[in-house]
Amino acid sequence: MPTDIAVPYLDISDPAFAMHSEAVRNARSQHWYAKTNYGFAILRYEYVSKLLKDPRLSQGSGKWPDHNGVHSGLFYDWWTKCLLVLEGDDHHRIRRLLNPAFSPRHIEPYLPRFEELAIELIDGVLDKGEFEYVNDFAEPYATRVLCILLGIPETEWPTIARLASTIGLALGVTLKQDLGVVEDALQELYGYAENLIADRQANPGDDLVTKLVQANADGDTLSDSELRNALCLLIFGGMDTTRNQLGLGMMSYLHNLDQWELLAKNPELARAAVEEVMRTNPTTTWVTREAVVDFDYEDLHVDAGTTVHFFTQVSGTDPEAYPNPEIDITAERAPHYGFGGGMHHCLGHFVARADMTIALKVLSQRMTNMRINGADEWLPDSGNTGPVKLPIAFDKR
Amino acid sequence: MQVYVDRAKCDNHGQCTFSAPTIFRLDEQGVLQYEEHADESLRNDVEEAADVCPLQAIFIKD
Repeated sequence: MPTDIAVPYLDISDPAFAMHSEAVRNARSQHWYAKTNYGFAILRYEYVSKLLKDPRLSQGSGKWPDHNGVHSGLFYDWWTKCLLVLEGDDHHRIRRLLNPAFSPRHIEPYLPRFEELAIELIDGVLDKGEFEYVNDFAEPYATRVLCILLGIPETEWPTIARLASTIGLALGVTLKQDLGVVEDALQELYGYAENLIADRQANPGDDLVTKLVQANADGDTLSDSELRNALCLLIFGGMDTTRNQLGLGMMSYLHNLDQWELLAKNPELARAAVEEVMRTNPTTTWVTREAVVDFDYEDLHVDAGTTVHFFTQVSGTDPEAYPNPEIDITAERAPHYGFGGGMHHCLGHFVARADMTIALKVLSQRMTNMRINGADEWLPDSGNTGPVKLPIAFDKR
Repeated sequence: MQVYVDRAKCDNHGQCTFSAPTIFRLDEQGVLQYEEHADESLRNDVEEAADVCPLQAIFIKD
């Protein structure tokens, strides 16, 4: 092993740490990985693509509660039984039972309803020429899409949004101090999910909950507690991420208005417009893995238990993989890793891709000349990022 | 039934291995290997694998 390789260091828990920064780009030019205060960060596309799916790395979030001083209780029990952190045969079994309900074939019937929803939300503010994008569009859209999928009355979306956001606090480093409110929200969501499951068992419909209740692989089915855990994960994982990604998408096109015009004229490019946002401006700025065993990969030695972060935006704009990395919705691109990858690839990605494609198409056909219209507020840049407030002014098209 | 995977699209995530583990597997390098001929009794499993593939890279020829 050569000893003269200078490995860069990144302090990724520094509140001032920024993914879109010279320091990170320099680190990527210097070497394919960096040391971090948690372990290692993989910076280049080629290596992210290979190592993200490596079986010597597990999902890595299973110990999150323990790392934050939480070792038992309602949240602990849910988290440690969640699909997100399961591994091996347990993961395969649950994933197999859940996967089909999220496939394009099952999502397609909902698309016209998603489009009506996007139109309803934007038409409500069209004549005003200004709105707060997160509050008026991204959050109600992301949450009501979930309601549509689950067969919940859409009027209940504020409850779902509140519960999802509160449980989302569990992803912060303040988990232990927030544990009380997180567990109250989880308890409420459990009740909600249990009622839904009981209702669909008695009165099957054509919604996603019914499909999960009826899911059957070679005689194997999901138990009531597995169904409840899955629904809670779906609500927790499906709302914030979509809202944040829609916010980042709007921000990307605010800075690339020529691409927005191109999209408005060519609505068939809406899917590419979503992929380009996720490649260059993903809400999940890193995907976490943990080494199961000691291993070496080229000049990198990883000890079992070490955290490895895969930097999605940094690898998604790696000039080696994307010679012109700026947003170009007409370009042929290698697949990005904004939805993670491997066995733990995002379960809901077909839904997210479809609903964001519809949102961008509908918005681009109604709004032009968007500009920021007041103070925006942002989540930190590490983990899951996005705007909390994004006031926008625009011209009606 | 014949199974075909578009290698230009396949990104080796391995979701197909959950649906039809006797037809699709990842080798030690993490690269997808698959059987080009599948028994008719596995049609539902292979169709499910094609449905859930994140890259939609799996095709079935009758």
